[in-house]
Amino acid sequence: MSQKYYLLRNREVADIDRMDVYLAHGGYQALKTALTDYKPEELVDLVKKSGLRGRGGAGFPTGMKWGFLPNDGRKRYLVVNSDEAEPGTYKDREIIEKNPHQLVEGIIISSYATKAREAYIYCRGEFLFGAEQLQRAVSEAYAEGFLGENILGSGFSVDLKVYRGAGAYICGEESALLESLEGRRGNPRLKPPFPAIAGLYGGPTVVNNVETITNVPAIVTYGAEWYTSMGTAKSPGVKIFSVSGRVSRPDNYEIPLATPLRSLIDDYAGGVLPGHKIKAVIPGGSSVPLLLPDKLDTPLDYESVLQAGSMLGSGGCIVLDDSVCMVGATARLVKFYREESCGKCTPCREGTYWMTDVLDRIERGQGTEEDLDTLMDIADNIGGKCFCPLGDASLGVLVSAMKFFRDEFEAHVREHACPMGAKLYDTVNH
Amino acid sequence: MIRLTIDGQEVTVPEGTMIVDAAARLGVDVPVYCYHQALGPLGACRMCLVQVEKMPKLVTGCTTAVTEGMVVHTKGGAVEKGRKGVLEFLLINHPLDCPVCDKGGECYLQDYTFEYGPGRGRFQEPKIQKVKNGPINDLVLIDQERCVLCQRCVRFMGDYVGEEQLLLEGRGVETVVTTVDHQPATSQFTGNVIDLCPVGALLSAPYYHKGRPWNIDRHSTVCPHCPVGCSSLATTRESHIIRLEGRPVPDRDWGWLCDRGRFGYDFGYHADRIADSWVKERATSAAQATRDVAEWMQQTNAQYGPGSIGFVMGGQFTAEEAHLIKKFAHDVAQSDNVAVMRNVRGYLPAALNGTFQDLTEADTVVFVGVDPYEAVPVVHLKLRDRLRHFSQLKVLGVGPRRLTRDTMPGRDYLVASQDEAVFFARALAAAAKDGPGVQTLVDSVRDYVLPVSDADIEAFGQALLDAEHLSLLWDGENAAMAEVLAVLAGLREKPTAVLPTFGPVNWRGYEQAGIDPRYDNVEELLNKTRTGEIRMLVLWGADLTRDLPDRQLAEQALAKADYVVSAQVVPPLDMPYIDALLPVATWGEVEGTYVNMEGRLSIGAAGVQPPGQARPTRTYVANWGRLFRQDFGLDDEWDPFDSAQGDLISRAGNNHGPAQAVPRPGTRDASQEWTIIEGDWVMENGMPSEILEPRETEFVARVSPEDAARLGIGEHGGYVEAQTAGGTVMIGVQADPAIVERTLWIPRGSRHDWAQHLEGLVKLTRPEEVPSV
Repeated sequence: MSQKYYLLRNREVADIDRMDVYLAHGGYQALKTALTDYKPEELVDLVKKSGLRGRGGAGFPTGMKWGFLPNDGRKRYLVVNSDEAEPGTYKDREIIEKNPHQLVEGIIISSYATKAREAYIYCRGEFLFGAEQLQRAVSEAYAEGFLGENILGSGFSVDLKVYRGAGAYICGEESALLESLEGRRGNPRLKPPFPAIAGLYGGPTVVNNVETITNVPAIVTYGAEWYTSMGTAKSPGVKIFSVSGRVSRPDNYEIPLATPLRSLIDDYAGGVLPGHKIKAVIPGGSSVPLLLPDKLDTPLDYESVLQAGSMLGSGGCIVLDDSVCMVGATARLVKFYREESCGKCTPCREGTYWMTDVLDRIERGQGTEEDLDTLMDIADNIGGKCFCPLGDASLGVLVSAMKFFRDEFEAHVREHACPMGAKLYDTVNH
Repeated sequence: MIRLTIDGQEVTVPEGTMIVDAAARLGVDVPVYCYHQALGPLGACRMCLVQVEKMPKLVTGCTTAVTEGMVVHTKGGAVEKGRKGVLEFLLINHPLDCPVCDKGGECYLQDYTFEYGPGRGRFQEPKIQKVKNGPINDLVLIDQERCVLCQRCVRFMGDYVGEEQLLLEGRGVETVVTTVDHQPATSQFTGNVIDLCPVGALLSAPYYHKGRPWNIDRHSTVCPHCPVGCSSLATTRESHIIRLEGRPVPDRDWGWLCDRGRFGYDFGYHADRIADSWVKERATSAAQATRDVAEWMQQTNAQYGPGSIGFVMGGQFTAEEAHLIKKFAHDVAQSDNVAVMRNVRGYLPAALNGTFQDLTEADTVVFVGVDPYEAVPVVHLKLRDRLRHFSQLKVLGVGPRRLTRDTMPGRDYLVASQDEAVFFARALAAAAKDGPGVQTLVDSVRDYVLPVSDADIEAFGQALLDAEHLSLLWDGENAAMAEVLAVLAGLREKPTAVLPTFGPVNWRGYEQAGIDPRYDNVEELLNKTRTGEIRMLVLWGADLTRDLPDRQLAEQALAKADYVVSAQVVPPLDMPYIDALLPVATWGEVEGTYVNMEGRLSIGAAGVQPPGQARPTRTYVANWGRLFRQDFGLDDEWDPFDSAQGDLISRAGNNHGPAQAVPRPGTRDASQEWTIIEGDWVMENGMPSEILEPRETEFVARVSPEDAARLGIGEHGGYVEAQTAGGTVMIGVQADPAIVERTLWIPRGSRHDWAQHLEGLVKLTRPEEVPSV
């Protein structure tokens, strides 16, 4: 299927991670346009008009976020969140590894728009290659005069640094990211104050996702109308979906928002594996509730997916087919949250530990009928009672799996074994 | 002010108040673990979930500020289920070893579980295992399994004290509190984490398995180790004090203690404690010693007439005991020669005496000769508290060493102790030359050369005048400062508070009891002894050799007196001169009033029996009165609170007369290579403690790091040879960046023998052979 790429331009242009190739294909032209044709406020308006929403998962309108910065003369920061660690999501990874210059260009434009004097990319610890690619791109941008003092004679200056985290999912939460970036333990901060008011080193700070910022040069180049011509009125533009699980072609797909889920799975990802049927889909990364096959025609935009009972999230689409044991899959995902809970707040720290053990026991055939009720009650004691969204994120799949597939859980209890014969998850704990 | 409703009751609180604090005003209990008013909100434990109308979810009462018209419910199904859930979570990995936990019975996890928790747990899986009874340092233990990860301890050490020695390690359910690099925490404030810990995770090592709530008694008292007089709770069992805890006073005091105070309670039953009566170097019965002393007093009076017996109050006696001594001296021993032992020459009139409240309002703080971190540690914490709320706090140090530090950053003006008053006077003359009394003040020191530039002197003077709320801490070393402080207070129309950091700890109490605490008084008394006018000395806790700055006068007076009677807790350095050594009851054994450095009266409780023959002051004077066959009215109950305003001493009176000129300091002997300076250090206050032995060092003297390097002194200190006028002595020294070069700092009143023999110090040299420690 031939398509035009705006974000994953590496798919069209080989070696676009190199400065010369990027420049030869119109690279940093958007930066020149932004610096010469726009005042910072006009760029904020442009992004507001484009309707671009945060691609990290929450979908908060980017232009509005930029507009929250107080005009009090304090030094401002732009921080780019590249701590992509949500199971099933690997879109930012492709951008930083294969098309890093577009991100760097986006950061410079966004810094100009938000009047940030310093910018950081907080890169997930495991992304060594990505961090090296980013560092190289940043060095090349400095060499070309795109970063540093008085960029392209505009009088605008910004410095950009790449910072590697130590491998913690929680640091994808913006305030934990800022703590980690400041050199402290990556625990989420109390909000308010929000980063726009008191962020990095207490200064006004914008934290944006990699994909979000990568959209910015394209919006400058093609205009807000172009962006709003795709998707819906409330969810315009393009988005990268990472498809994984039981499909023929698991990969990143850059498609307009509001493309039906069925189209993403069948037309792009080659459909579910031959001989199998879709059992459920996690449409937006491991934190969101399951969608059943009857929702496959849901358009992939923020509002429609929410209405269907899940969330668009980060766009990590995990397809589960009829060979998957729902108990095992749930246990595996909940275990991820147990491992990644920072330990700060009680319900998340203790609840994810407890749920993992109970799910593990059920999967091994050692569960009881009461366990199922206990599990739901633990989930209720976590839900809405944690310090940050991680605790709630651990419940998305569990609660929907218990709702849609309770019979499978009961079968495990009744038969004292996994009816699917799955041994994949034999010892989740320890 | 914000008006809101909690559980149907209306309450009005200041803006920014958290729901839990607003609820507390109504007496509504909202359970908390991680929240502590001094440390601020964290939101980690989720114990304080409450329901706020119009909010979709339960909110944490400790992180949610009140808003106008807010309607809060701290009861009801959702809240109760939320609390139950959190408690069940906290308990799943908590070892249920309450029966062997020191905190059992004093534990918030027990209390809240009983009050709000589920009757039984549903958790059937294996619990996480962690370190039990691991060390934070020699004094504090951690049981990581019992920890609820409220981070109070970590935040206290890091944010509050500013010494980041505790941290969280690991993540998720494996998270533990531990020390940085797993090295012992060295801060002198570590013991506070025991009080802060809401569960049995942080434990006092010396109290470990020593008592249970049902076999201990707790008494309200004040710490006797320095002039701060921290409010505290003494735990006693079987006539031993076995623990000291901080005692918060609402709206005034968080109840912090320093480790010196918290763990130094064992001097009462230390091996050095005097429990026998000694007369002429022979142990005797208490009755015999009492009779002998009475006889000497009668004999002295008979021979030399009234006023021939001198009484000197030192130690840690109560104001009531000082009153008894004063009354006994006057009514029975016919003497008004009663003085307070002093180790510095300064005196502060009560009118200038500020309170700790002044520190919470200060915008400028000046340390005159004193580093509060060492001398009055909890004052350092009070200033840290101020700094947290007011980051622009200006801190200035004036003295012969650096007095500011990393945790209390500021500007130091390095001037010799004897030049401090000159520096202040000249600063005032530069900044307010027409101010009342200023010209008189500088009259004889206008051309005196100071090691500080004129611009700096003027800037300092300006800072003193510009301060909105000025607080000064003063070590009393330079007596002429009193004059300067009085003029300064007169010049300023804004609040000016002075807090004296010198001892003895209860000197203000002795003053309230009617004894003149000025140095001139004790000096005169000893001069009279030296000249033979006074023939007998009764030293009530005073140790002249150790404390009197004029050592020669002390020795001559002691040698000249016909009789020297000394009532002590531990052997004094005066020992060679003493004719009768009387064991006396001390802090914790006698109830009475202490007046601290802010002039506040507090009652110290009696919880234990004095050991051996040790008797309270009252018993001694009553017996002597009887032996004198004189009824001296012990029933005349004097109450120190009678003359106090509330629990503060009266600040009235002490009207300052016309200003006096600051005397010109004598010229220093330029041939002397080294300068000796002294400072108060609470660790070296003379009271022995076995518990604190791991914190003690032989190397109590200090030199600059440069000098230490020259002298070959390693990281933890070492011995050097000191060549003095009187010969060569070995002294224990360590490096301290606060000390300037060619200066030797020694703790005031050190019990180390060599500290008394450094007069005429010529030089320090590396010893040929270092004796092993």
